[in-house]
Amino acid sequence: MDYVVLTAGALLAAVGLLALAARRSAVRDDARPPDGTLHDSVPDAAARFDTLLEVIPAGVVIVEPPGRITAINSSAAKMFGIAPERAVGRALIECIRSYELDRRVAAALAQGVEESAELTFIAATERRLHVTTRAIDRGDGRREALVVAIDRTRMMELESMRRDFVSNVSHELRSPLTAIKIMTETLQGGVDKAASKEFLDNISRETERMIALVEDLLDLARLESGKLDLKFESVDLGDLIRDVVSSQASRAAKLDVRLDALVHDGGVTIAGDRDKLVQVVVNLLDNALRNTPAGGSVTAAVGRSDGKAYLEVADTGTGIPSEALPHVFERFYVVDRSRAKSKGGTGLGLAIVKHIVEAHGGTVEAQSELGRGSVFRCTF
Amino acid sequence: MGRENFHRILNETQQDVLRMGSLVEEAINRAVDALQRSDVALAEDILGADDIIDDLNVRIETNCLNLLALQQPMASDLRTIAAMLDIVIDLERIGDHACDIAQITKSLAEEPPLKPLIDIPKMAAKAREMLRESLNAFAHHDAAIAHRVPEKDDEVDRLYRAVFKELIEFMANDPRAINRGSNLILVALYLERIADHSTNICERVVYMVEGVPKKLKRSVVEINKAVAHSDALLQFGRTET
Repeated sequence: MDYVVLTAGALLAAVGLLALAARRSAVRDDARPPDGTLHDSVPDAAARFDTLLEVIPAGVVIVEPPGRITAINSSAAKMFGIAPERAVGRALIECIRSYELDRRVAAALAQGVEESAELTFIAATERRLHVTTRAIDRGDGRREALVVAIDRTRMMELESMRRDFVSNVSHELRSPLTAIKIMTETLQGGVDKAASKEFLDNISRETERMIALVEDLLDLARLESGKLDLKFESVDLGDLIRDVVSSQASRAAKLDVRLDALVHDGGVTIAGDRDKLVQVVVNLLDNALRNTPAGGSVTAAVGRSDGKAYLEVADTGTGIPSEALPHVFERFYVVDRSRAKSKGGTGLGLAIVKHIVEAHGGTVEAQSELGRGSVFRCTF
Repeated sequence: MGRENFHRILNETQQDVLRMGSLVEEAINRAVDALQRSDVALAEDILGADDIIDDLNVRIETNCLNLLALQQPMASDLRTIAAMLDIVIDLERIGDHACDIAQITKSLAEEPPLKPLIDIPKMAAKAREMLRESLNAFAHHDAAIAHRVPEKDDEVDRLYRAVFKELIEFMANDPRAINRGSNLILVALYLERIADHSTNICERVVYMVEGVPKKLKRSVVEINKAVAHSDALLQFGRTET
C-alpha cells in the first residue's frame, strides 16, 4: 500500500505548492511593501519559497505568456532532461517537447483552465507523470501558468507488477482447483474402480501442486519481507549436493535423465543455513530435470573459483533464448508457457533461489545455449 | 506587418513545428505500443489524432507562405522559413507512417502474434531518438547535433536487415505466417523510412544554420542482398516442403 500513501502525499504536496506559488507571485513581484516593516519579510518569503522549490521531489515550472519559462526547479529539470539555465527565458515547447503539456499550459494562460492528467513524457527514457496545470492571477491583469509534475513511473511499474502477480497467482491456483472440481463431480456421478483410482491419483497430484505453490508463495513472502531467520552453521556443500542428488535419483531415473554430483577441489565448506541451501539445490535440480529430455544429463557440482565457493547445476536440456535469460529469476517468468504447463512447476523456484543466495551474500547467474543446455551458478 | 510582428509569427511558427514534431513522436511511440499489445482502440486513437497533425501542417505552411509573400525575408530568416516548409513535409510523412503501423495493428488484431516483438521496438526507439534529436537541432539552431544524428541510421538499418531476415525465415518455414510476416516487414520498413526522414530534417537544419545545402551521410539498406538471401530461403522452404 506504500505507493498509495506516496501518491496521496505527493498530490497533497502539489496542492500546497499551487497555493504557495500563488502567494509567491504576489509577494515577489506585486505586493511592494508600503513601509519598512513588511519590507524585511518579503525577500525572506521569496527565499523560503525558492528553497522549498529546490528541495521538493515534485517538478515545478512557471510559465508566462505567450508560453515562456520563467522558473523551473531541479526536480522538473531532471524529470524533463533539461538544464535549468538553458530553459529559463525559452519557449516551453522548445525545452519540454510535449504537445499535451503545451496545450494545457496555453489553456491555463488564455482561459485560466485548471487541469490534472496522467501524461507520458518521452525523453531518454519514458516517464509517466501526473501533471497539474493552473493559472496564477498576478492581480495586475497578467497571468502565469504553474505546472506541477509528479513522477509516477516507478509507482506505475510497481502497480503493474502487483497486478501481474495477483493475476498469475489466481491463474496458478485456479487451474488445479478446476481440475479437482471436475474430477470430484465425475467421481460423485459414479465411475468404475479403475477410473476412480486414476481420478483420485490426479486429485492427489493437483492438490500437491497447489500445496507446493502455496509453500513457495509463503517462502517468497518471507524472503522478500526480510523476515527470514537464517540459522548459520558450517555447511559442507559437497555433502549437501550428494544428499540432494540422492533424494532426486528415483525421479531422474523415471525421466531417463542421468543425474550426478561432482565435488571439486576436495570439497567446499561455507557458513550458511543448511535447510535453505538444500532448498536452493532442490529448486535448481527440479528446474533442470523439468527442462531436460529423456537421455540427457543433469550435473550438480561444487568447487572453488577465484577464491570463492561455487555451486552449480548444469543440464543438457532445451536451453533458454538469450532474450529470456535476464528474466528467468523473475516470479512466474516462464520461457515456454505451452511446454511448462505439461511439465508442472510453480514458476517461483528460481526466484526463491535468487533470494536465498542473496540472503547469504552470494550471487546467482544463468548461462545457456539454445538446444544445448543451461548452467545455473551460485557464487558465495 | 511590422518587423516585430514578423518575428513574433516566425517564432510562433517555429514552435508550431516543434508541437507537430512532439505529436508525431508520440504517434510513433503509441503506434508501436499498440502493435505490441494488439490494442485496436489505441490504433484507432492514433488514426484520429492524425487530423491534429494535418491541421498544424496547414497552419505552419500558411504562416510560412504569408511571411514569404508579405515580408520578403532575407538571409537566415528566409532559410528558416524554407527549412520549415521542408521539415513539415517530413513530419507529415512520419505521421502517416505511424498511421500505417496503426492500420496494420488493426488488420492483424484477429490473428495470433507471430512472435514476441524484440527488434521492431528497438528500431522504433532508435528512429524516435533520431527524430527527437533532429528536432532538438532545429529548436536550438544547432548544426553540430544535426551532423551527428544521421550516424545513428546505421543501427536502424542493421535492425531492419535483422528483422527482414528473421521474418523471411518465418514465412519460408510456415506459409500461414506470410500475412503477419509481410505486414511486420512493412512496419520495419516504415520505421526505417522514419529514420531517413529524420536525416532529411537534419539536412534542412544544417542549411538553415550554415547557409549551405548539404547531403548528410546516410547508409543504404542493401535490399538487393536481403532479397537475394530471402529468395534462397524461400527456395529452401519449397524444397523442404
